[in-house]
Amino acid sequence: MNARHRRRPGVWLAGAGQTGPAAADSRSIPEMVLAAVEAALEDAALTFDDIDAVVTASVDLYDGLTASNLAVTEVVGAVMKPETRIAADGLCAALHGACQILAGAYETVLVVAHGKASMASFPELTTWAMDPVYLQPLGVDFETCAGLQAQALAAFDERAERRWAELAAERRRQAAGHGVAPPRTAEEVLASPIVASPVRREMVAPRADGACAMLLRQTPGGRGSPGGGQTGNRTRITGFGWDLAAHAPGDRDLEQWAGVGRACARAYQASGVVEPADSLHLLEPSCHYAHEEELFVRASGAGSGPCVSPTGGLFAGAIPVAAGLSRLIAADRWLRQRDEAGCALVHGSWGPIGQGQAVVILEAAA
Amino acid sequence: MSQPISVSHEMDLAWRYASGEAMERFCAGLTDGRIEALRCAACGLRYLPPRPFCGDCRARLTEWVAVGDEGKLEAWTEVQVPMLDAGTGRPRATPFAIGLVRLEGADTTLNHFLAETGAGRLRVGARVRARWRSERAGTMADIECFEVIG
Repeated sequence: MNARHRRRPGVWLAGAGQTGPAAADSRSIPEMVLAAVEAALEDAALTFDDIDAVVTASVDLYDGLTASNLAVTEVVGAVMKPETRIAADGLCAALHGACQILAGAYETVLVVAHGKASMASFPELTTWAMDPVYLQPLGVDFETCAGLQAQALAAFDERAERRWAELAAERRRQAAGHGVAPPRTAEEVLASPIVASPVRREMVAPRADGACAMLLRQTPGGRGSPGGGQTGNRTRITGFGWDLAAHAPGDRDLEQWAGVGRACARAYQASGVVEPADSLHLLEPSCHYAHEEELFVRASGAGSGPCVSPTGGLFAGAIPVAAGLSRLIAADRWLRQRDEAGCALVHGSWGPIGQGQAVVILEAAA
Repeated sequence: MSQPISVSHEMDLAWRYASGEAMERFCAGLTDGRIEALRCAACGLRYLPPRPFCGDCRARLTEWVAVGDEGKLEAWTEVQVPMLDAGTGRPRATPFAIGLVRLEGADTTLNHFLAETGAGRLRVGARVRARWRSERAGTMADIECFEVIG
């Protein structure tokens, strides 16, 4: 860590709350979001009055509602307050919240993301998130794109499918008990139906319902609590980056996640991370398909040293739009439980085969 | 000059919205000809339709209050251009009138159709009453429309 970084004002994780992942939450979206927000406030020992601004993440197409943030305006406490809404992964919303704090605009920002995969057929919806003149008429959706990418990777790697099956089985085993899908063996993964070859159904992180809320603060210590709430406020964001690749899969090198590499480079520079393999203790990537984890680890430069998705990552349940924020919460929990200094790399992605990529470096004091 | 190419699409997608606890109770009440609002304990505002949270006070709403099926027309408009009827997916026959009704016992207004069109009896401040359907299914359509009564 360099001197320039140490002088920089921090962005602290003050409290987190989450509902789900659930296979089908019978609650309405505002009810799910309110439960997550209230849990975050309780975690931080803060109240709605302490929130200066709100950043929400939601996607109209997934919610079947234009201006999908309107459904949650009240329950995120945004009435008569500044709210910014982004239609990208929830981790990107957290980065926008961090930018607002670093700009000195606000002291406390609430970041909220929600998704309800059970409302509609998610793969069908993703067709309509593709270019309407060239790709939609061809029926290209996110699953098709994942199949193309996996095939490009597997073409010259005959062990790839077996490796992805073992990875999916391991993540499903880690997610057992708190996830939405039962564990599977590698053989069961390999025997599951093909979605888009060579991607099989059990190599896809199961989609789920849920909402995530994270309170970001300029300073450690809750306003309402000298002790800084239940979190102890040990964890802060020390660097972040995000990146967009070209939309069309044909414009990209499918064999790598170059956007992750670029986003990580920005985050590492801001955090003063020179050797990610030495500095990072945890990777919490948002991998919707088993093969994406290999792409992520390679692009991050973290090697095999850090612990990766110890609770199963998105294989516990991939909440559309909220996936990356769920990883931020998971990393925050891991660092809290560790009870010693630690550093984590958190990831979120959006669009077909990770067109948008965002990463955050978290550091926890001892 | 060449003709521009246009690509047409027809989307056939369906979403299932969870109505939430408050709307579930509200709609169940409509089946029995009962209208209920949720009152904010902090500011006293009685929300109709009911919702789980007061955005002004940032407080959960749990106190149910009875609301009458008569009230005052706060705003109205006569629609002349066919609008999409979400229930049928087809344009609604015009003209029709729609209004904002403040029912007795509520502090917010309810959007609904009006039984007549034209500026004859429709005016801000007119007394209106719900016209209930004889067969009800627990939806907003259980109230067919509001009629001017004075």
